[in-house]
Amino acid sequence: MSFRILRSGFLLTIQDGGRFGLAHYGVSQSGVADEQAAYWANHLLGNHFNDAVIEITLGDFECIALDETDIVITGADLDFTLNDKSITMWQENHIVKGDKIRCATAKKGQGVRAYIAVKGGFKTPNLFNSRSVNLREHIGQPLQQDDVLTSTRSEPKPIKRSTPLFLRPNYSEPLILRFLASYQYADFTQTQINTFLNQSYLIQSTSDRTGYRLEGKAIADVASKMISEGIAYGSIEITTAGQPIILLKDRPTIGGYPKIGTVFSLDLAKLAQRQPGCEVIFKSMDLEVAQQLRQQFNAFFGIKQSTLNLN
Amino acid sequence: MIAVKLASENAIIVYFGQQISDELVDEIAFYSALLKQQLADLIIDIVPSYTSLMLSYRIDKINHQAFSARVEDIIKSNTRVIKSATIKVIEIPVLYDSKVGLDLTACLEAKALDLTSFIKLHSECEYRVHAVGFSPAFAFLGTVDPRLVMPRHRTPRINIPAGSIGIADNQTAVYPVESAGGWQIIGRTPIDLSLANPDNLRLFQVGDTVRFKPVDDAEFLALGGQR
Repeated sequence: MSFRILRSGFLLTIQDGGRFGLAHYGVSQSGVADEQAAYWANHLLGNHFNDAVIEITLGDFECIALDETDIVITGADLDFTLNDKSITMWQENHIVKGDKIRCATAKKGQGVRAYIAVKGGFKTPNLFNSRSVNLREHIGQPLQQDDVLTSTRSEPKPIKRSTPLFLRPNYSEPLILRFLASYQYADFTQTQINTFLNQSYLIQSTSDRTGYRLEGKAIADVASKMISEGIAYGSIEITTAGQPIILLKDRPTIGGYPKIGTVFSLDLAKLAQRQPGCEVIFKSMDLEVAQQLRQQFNAFFGIKQSTLNLN
Repeated sequence: MIAVKLASENAIIVYFGQQISDELVDEIAFYSALLKQQLADLIIDIVPSYTSLMLSYRIDKINHQAFSARVEDIIKSNTRVIKSATIKVIEIPVLYDSKVGLDLTACLEAKALDLTSFIKLHSECEYRVHAVGFSPAFAFLGTVDPRLVMPRHRTPRINIPAGSIGIADNQTAVYPVESAGGWQIIGRTPIDLSLANPDNLRLFQVGDTVRFKPVDDAEFLALGGQR
């Protein structure tokens, strides 16, 4: 035993690196919405990148420690406290039995999602290759008040590891989403592409882990729905009304709106930290640069994805 | 000709045609299995759907150009599509009744059919799984008899009960769990297709065959159906 949940806030789920190898059965990727913050939390603890963490959405969370362990809190700065005293994020903290960790409700301008990682990861049930909860797919349940989470006990250490300040993200800075021209990009006219590129979009309140809905000046005369096909993480669907939807971790495996491009995965981590009402703009990116940056990220955090020969 | 396009920094999509057909289903099932077998150490996930195959892959092992070339090469050097001699057949019992088929009465009226003819047209043919998605174990089945083709509702229903059988254009499907959706609901299966039974996850694969078997009220209840 390690923690009991006292307040679960708006949405509290267990997530890990995601669910792979089952997409042909209609099972979506799932996993942490902000890979950068979540993987830093595991990295500082010396965990495997895929160890399960708590994803707190928009705050209003409280839990009590039932045993001694090490934790790291990363992501949205939601005024976290340990026994009512401010606790440092992006750093290892030793917790003893009876300690209370709490955070406030997210305020305007703050991030959306915070992560709590524990030494060794949370040992919730493995559901189809992953511990990630996906509410849209009825896989797993959100955490509720009085739920007890299990992890392994760890003794205090003389050192505390932290993320250097210059690498901690600022979720209130303007967001430029870099994207790759993909899928039906060539079927869009230059006028349609100009509309897409030459404006800033507003994030809508209907955005969630499945997708972020944006609104701006409509792209005119978008082709109606097409034959459904596989949709990658970050696909930018343009609805019949001419507005973009950026598909995230809980997206369905297939979809039938035309796609103008695909947002670079590391920019999706930043997007998942933006509240409704924030502005985003799109900028094109080269595939080689995207592959190189993602590979550096994977190498840094020790990310090795499973392939079909393991399933 | 096949066309290979970029899907994301670690995924490509291969198009095998532009028209939905049972023939294309056989082709896509064949190439999906072939690629799975030959590139198992590179492929993270594979998503067959109607006319295409999306493949995500390990970018630490291979880059976009090299992966696309390998995939194209495998497809182009295996041009004899082998249809499996033993296509899996899944039989799904259905109660066609307006008590559970929320749109059945309206469909009969719109199509000027009596219930017996409607049931015959929907259940006396074999359907192929053209795609699996929307949610796990949701199989898109083609092709519905032209006399039964109905468009989706303009506004989706908030709650379609689990097991509902729907028609949308020339496709039909079973809703494995209660969900929102715009399909015309014509009946319900008594069997549980949800992930409460984990085996249901692997029930449908692109290329499988599905048959609907009409059942009456008593059989529906005996099989565990709820209405």
